[in-house]
Amino acid sequence: MDGLVIWLTGLPAAGKTTLAVRVLESLRSRGLKAEHLDGDELRKTLSQGLGFSREDRDKHIMRVGFVCRLLSRNGVVAIVSAISPYRATRDQVRKSVRKFIEVYVKCPLEVCEKRDPKGLYKKAREGKIPQVTGVNDPYEEPLDPELTLETEKETIGACVDKILKYCDHVNVISTSIYTPEEEKKLKERLSSLGYLE
Amino acid sequence: MKGAVNQKRLMVIGLDCLPPDLVFNKLDLPHLRRLMKSGVYGELRSTIPPITVPAWISMTTGKDPGELGLYGFRNRKEGGYGWFIANSQDVKESTLWDVLGKNGKNVIVSGVPLTYPPKPVNGCLISDFMTPSASSSFTYPAALKEEVLQLEPDYSFDVKEFRTEDRERVLRQIYAMTEQHFRVSKHLLAKYPWDFFMMVEIGPDRLHHAFWKYQDPLHRSYAAGSPFENAVRDYYIYLDKKVGELLEIAGNDTSILVVSDHGAQRMDGGVAINEWLIQQGYLVLKKTPGKVIPLEDAEVDWKKTKVWGAGGYYARLFVNVRGREAEGIVSNDEVEPLLSEISRKLIELKDPQGNRMSNTVYRPREIYKNVTGSAPDLIVYLGNLLWRSIGSVGHNSVFVSDNDIGPDDANHAPDGIFILREPQGLWGDAKGYIGRKKIYDIVPLVCRMMNIPWTV
Repeated sequence: MDGLVIWLTGLPAAGKTTLAVRVLESLRSRGLKAEHLDGDELRKTLSQGLGFSREDRDKHIMRVGFVCRLLSRNGVVAIVSAISPYRATRDQVRKSVRKFIEVYVKCPLEVCEKRDPKGLYKKAREGKIPQVTGVNDPYEEPLDPELTLETEKETIGACVDKILKYCDHVNVISTSIYTPEEEKKLKERLSSLGYLE
Repeated sequence: MKGAVNQKRLMVIGLDCLPPDLVFNKLDLPHLRRLMKSGVYGELRSTIPPITVPAWISMTTGKDPGELGLYGFRNRKEGGYGWFIANSQDVKESTLWDVLGKNGKNVIVSGVPLTYPPKPVNGCLISDFMTPSASSSFTYPAALKEEVLQLEPDYSFDVKEFRTEDRERVLRQIYAMTEQHFRVSKHLLAKYPWDFFMMVEIGPDRLHHAFWKYQDPLHRSYAAGSPFENAVRDYYIYLDKKVGELLEIAGNDTSILVVSDHGAQRMDGGVAINEWLIQQGYLVLKKTPGKVIPLEDAEVDWKKTKVWGAGGYYARLFVNVRGREAEGIVSNDEVEPLLSEISRKLIELKDPQGNRMSNTVYRPREIYKNVTGSAPDLIVYLGNLLWRSIGSVGHNSVFVSDNDIGPDDANHAPDGIFILREPQGLWGDAKGYIGRKKIYDIVPLVCRMMNIPWTV
């Protein structure tokens, strides 16, 4: 099976990492090979030393994209949670992999600021850190993402469900708990019982 | 102290598809009769639709099909024209055993539909007839599987090859399966601690579908004197004995609830709903099939199709809405007039004898508290559910006889049963028949019985 890249983009504290972790768990529980690549975590290793200028942000995202390419071509579902603020850079990653699902994790800035689990917004407002996306650095919304999830309005479970169902719907991955043979037999049985006529 | 604990213990015996008339009036079932006399009983109004999925899971979550987003065994994938088969992972709401377990109660759950794959419980769980086979991981904890297979090496989840003319073999399988299920339940009850036990036996449902016509003089295929004339009666007597064995284990201090998810009735025939939609000009095929095939295999001209349907015990109709469906053509403004027009035509539909069919049309938004998932735009009961909905095309006729759909004699009916014996008189002080309750009444009842707060 080909892998794919599920790329969650959005403002800090929009809910990207939370969703990514839940999608990872769901896919693994279905026996799929999956990895979670978190933008913040990878800045400590893969992109150590890079800052938050446009150039550094692009370098960081392209590196993450490169790892995604390696993983996905080996049948792994790569789930990325990264702000990835620039449209052109995300599109570059899209072009570099075979199957790419862009998920816009949408949440109003004021809600993200209220959440602020890492205190980023607070520090930005106090002028302690520059270049925080949404405050003093731009975020370019996706123009045509495969999915838009509004985390202020929808539950985490509903958002995860949408991602999984989208993947299933476009036949990128099968989220069925049954093997194709099991599903065929089950359908035959249910059909013989009159449930699927 | 022991007495106090036992009063909080509850045994739920789920018997799929048991209809009120057979149990309450027609058959002599001593164990159930005794329960009816010492407790209360009546009809249990099922979900709309009255189908195993979603009925049992509505009963045990207190949520209606719209809230669950589950409208049958198969459900539409969002936005597409494909389907998925529901399983336990599609149940996002807490079940009775989830909540009881969180409140420290030990639970034993066996065979309750939509429990495959098994989720963790505070106790043990054996999954339902949607389990592919005994080689699947069908228990929680996983190690319980070996214990079950040691006890019943050929443990079966359902009847194999149901649509066969070899009725004798089907009957043998139903008995063997039921025997296994009760034997395993008794084993679990004896070995593991429990405050809440619930099993669902699917055998009666399979029995009705295969043998109803032999005992119902109103069935169009009834012929007196068949060797299977007493098949239903005899199985019920056997089933009653099995219930009696569980009651003996439960003892007098345990509360008992016997329930079915829906009832049963004869089947008069099938309405090929997509043939009707084609005839009315709502559904367009690029090519008329030369034989009967599922709609999924037909060449549907989606650019000209306004409505399509699905079969089963009831009909589901979907409007091909622009912006909602992948190739939708009906604008939002057109949806409501279209649904009204189709509803009116369906209500006026006449059977092959020229009699009005008594069809009922439901709108999900009007009958459910919330509508989630890919709900049908219309839910249709054909001829008071005496007629089945056939989704396949190529019949060249709207009305289909049993020859086209294989041997199957029964349809589902909206009323199942409940028989309740509990010391607190939660459903009143009177004994005996107390009228109809709703399937959604079960969760609040059980919570009160077990002294568990739960807001549905």
